[in-house]
Amino acid sequence: MASPLLRFRRFSTRLLVIVLSLLAAALLSTYLLVTRANQTNAIAHIESRLAGDVKVFWASIDFRKRFFVEGAKVVSRDWPIRTLYLQPQLDLKTLRTTMESYAARLNAPVFATFDVDGAMLATTNDSLTNDSCGPFRHLIQKADENGWEQNSDFGYLAEKLHVLIVVPLYAPEPNIIGWFGIAFPIDDRFARDLKETTQTEVTFTSGLTEDTKRVLATTLSPGLAQQVADQAPAELKPDGQVMVTNMGSDRYVTLYAPLELLAEDPARITLQRSLETELAPARRLEQTMLFILLAALITASLIALAVARGVSQPLQQLAGHTELVAAGDYTRRIALPREDEIGQLATAFNHMTAGLAERDRVRDLLGKVVSPEIATQLLQSDLKLGGEEREVTILFSDLRDFTGMSERLAPTEVLTLLNRYLDRMSTIIEKHGGVIDKYIGDAIMALFGAPVALPDAAARALAAARDMADSLQDMNRELEAEGKPALAFGIGINTARVVAGNMGSQTRLNYTVIGDGVNLASRLETMTKDPAHRTNIIISEATARAVGEEGKLRSLGAVTVKGKTEAVKVFAVDIQPRPWPTRPQARPPTNPPYGA
Amino acid sequence: MRSRLLFALLVLTAATRVAAASTTLTGTVRDNKGAFVSDAVVSLIPLDQPAPPPAEPPGEIAQQTQEFLPYVTVVQAGTKVVFPNRDTVQHHVYSLSKAKKFELPLYNPGQKESLVFESTGLVTLGCNIHDWMIAYLLVVPTPYFAKTDEQGRATVTAPAGRYRVEVWHPRVSAALTQEIALTAGEASARDFGLTLKPDRRIRRGGATKTGGYR
Repeated sequence: MASPLLRFRRFSTRLLVIVLSLLAAALLSTYLLVTRANQTNAIAHIESRLAGDVKVFWASIDFRKRFFVEGAKVVSRDWPIRTLYLQPQLDLKTLRTTMESYAARLNAPVFATFDVDGAMLATTNDSLTNDSCGPFRHLIQKADENGWEQNSDFGYLAEKLHVLIVVPLYAPEPNIIGWFGIAFPIDDRFARDLKETTQTEVTFTSGLTEDTKRVLATTLSPGLAQQVADQAPAELKPDGQVMVTNMGSDRYVTLYAPLELLAEDPARITLQRSLETELAPARRLEQTMLFILLAALITASLIALAVARGVSQPLQQLAGHTELVAAGDYTRRIALPREDEIGQLATAFNHMTAGLAERDRVRDLLGKVVSPEIATQLLQSDLKLGGEEREVTILFSDLRDFTGMSERLAPTEVLTLLNRYLDRMSTIIEKHGGVIDKYIGDAIMALFGAPVALPDAAARALAAARDMADSLQDMNRELEAEGKPALAFGIGINTARVVAGNMGSQTRLNYTVIGDGVNLASRLETMTKDPAHRTNIIISEATARAVGEEGKLRSLGAVTVKGKTEAVKVFAVDIQPRPWPTRPQARPPTNPPYGA
Repeated sequence: MRSRLLFALLVLTAATRVAAASTTLTGTVRDNKGAFVSDAVVSLIPLDQPAPPPAEPPGEIAQQTQEFLPYVTVVQAGTKVVFPNRDTVQHHVYSLSKAKKFELPLYNPGQKESLVFESTGLVTLGCNIHDWMIAYLLVVPTPYFAKTDEQGRATVTAPAGRYRVEVWHPRVSAALTQEIALTAGEASARDFGLTLKPDRRIRRGGATKTGGYR
């Protein structure tokens, strides 16, 4: 039924394996589906949060810009600076210190003043020169052209990313006499600040080509930040691109967004959130789920085992009982008080055992009524009338003067004595392979070579006859000891082709042999009654020839059987008187033990 | 109003005194959308003879209701301009323009200060106290000039001869210049088109009520 993989010696193992594999497959797929859904959800959630984080970044930039613009507007209307400008020659040293004052007031990292054409006049940063102020000039030009009250953008100052702001110096508004330039850097501190607000890893990178990809500012370690710079996609949509990146041992959902720069390749802001951190609550849930799944698996195994045991244990019990029945023990009954199929099986088994016991009893009885060989023959063949011709040695024995003796004894005593005699004789006959055909009163008709053919049937019959004679001597000694009369018998043996088979009616059969040979055996037994022959055992010429003792035996001449014209030679078998057995020290027999 | 009338009279008398054969140029100034432009200055700078010296009466730029009055003033170089404070608060008038850098430190209502403007050019006036106060003083090298009215019209009387016409307005980046020849007894009329920048004067009333939030 099952593939070799699922073939197990034990039913419980198979049930366990099937239940567990099905359950495990179902649970595992559920678990995997949930895990995957969790991850997809986490990524989607992080994506939406990153989109918000970018807005926070822009809001933070806008806020700072507005703060500096408003501050610059305030200081640009300052009296002292106008006083400075009133002088015929602008005092640049004083102007610079004025810038320092203003920078301190606004907490502006970079503060510079430009004339109306964008030439730098003074700055708080010595590293800033008129040449390196290109981005500021660009902003001033653009603002002037468009009449803007301010202008700002991302740009590089001394190779560092800054947000640059220009505000006109009015005297009075809208009469522009110069420009203020303010810048604040997008540096590690800015990134850390943003991280504090958004809980997001922040990295700013520059350039698009391999040799210009560099980290401008980051909250990450330098190695990881460079990895971020290297992994940045070359093309970016204005609203950025989200990807899952492996960094170190952690996975991050990473948003790359472009920062347009003044006349340069755009820089990048990279916002990252750890996927593992986001997944942590889901992971805890998954772990709980895993525990529940394992518990379910274990429970299912236990239940499957219990069920399997509930099936296999009674089956094993049944198997054990079956072995006992096979060995011939029909006395056991299985006690399985169950209503299910196994209970039914047990009941059926008990019925079967009972049936077998019944049959065995019948068979036993049959073996007692007929000889075991005949019983076997009867049981093996499909009982039917008819027989076959075969060579059989027939032995006839008969007790001498038993009728007279039975008149002197009580009937029960007669039966007891007869049974004792018949049992003894039958045992000897069977020991020699003979089959009791029937008891006819005190007479025994036995067959050698039927129903089972025997090559040495005649010799066996003769040996049986001799043993019977010996046994009778022993029995007579016992009887004498008991004060009972001794017994004497005569035996006739003939070997002939007869018909053997079942005879009788359709409902009642008898296995026996019929033919002249049977009659001759009976006739030979009768001849032993003639004292002239001086023997208890007479065998026919056929038997003697079969035994090969023709010459050794004493010939009694020929007899003519009734209804037959041909005479048959007969021989006497002489038996030596047996010595007394040494053990039962009984009195010597009063009567001659042999013959009468 | 009175000062403007006085000024016009002055110009007229000056013109009649210099050249008997004077004539007029009526300039009509429109912006690029075709609308009349007021407060534009049309000045005629003589090309053939030197301009006559400035007339006696001074110019005036007053401070009133925390505004300069008038918004645009034209004077010939060498003219004295009076700055009377007709307000209820103090003012601190200054200019950082190249034509004349000066300041008139805080002075009280009722006081008046005066300055002579020798160099030609534009003088942008402000007040250090009131950011929104602004006035323009155009110092020109000629007595022949006029300011456009609400209809964008300015009529300048000058002797016949060749002139460079300069048309200026606070909202142009550079003055419009043309050459013109005026013939005696023959009134000329010219249309001038100016490209104006947006008006970026501060609206009074300070910050918005929301405190900067949109």
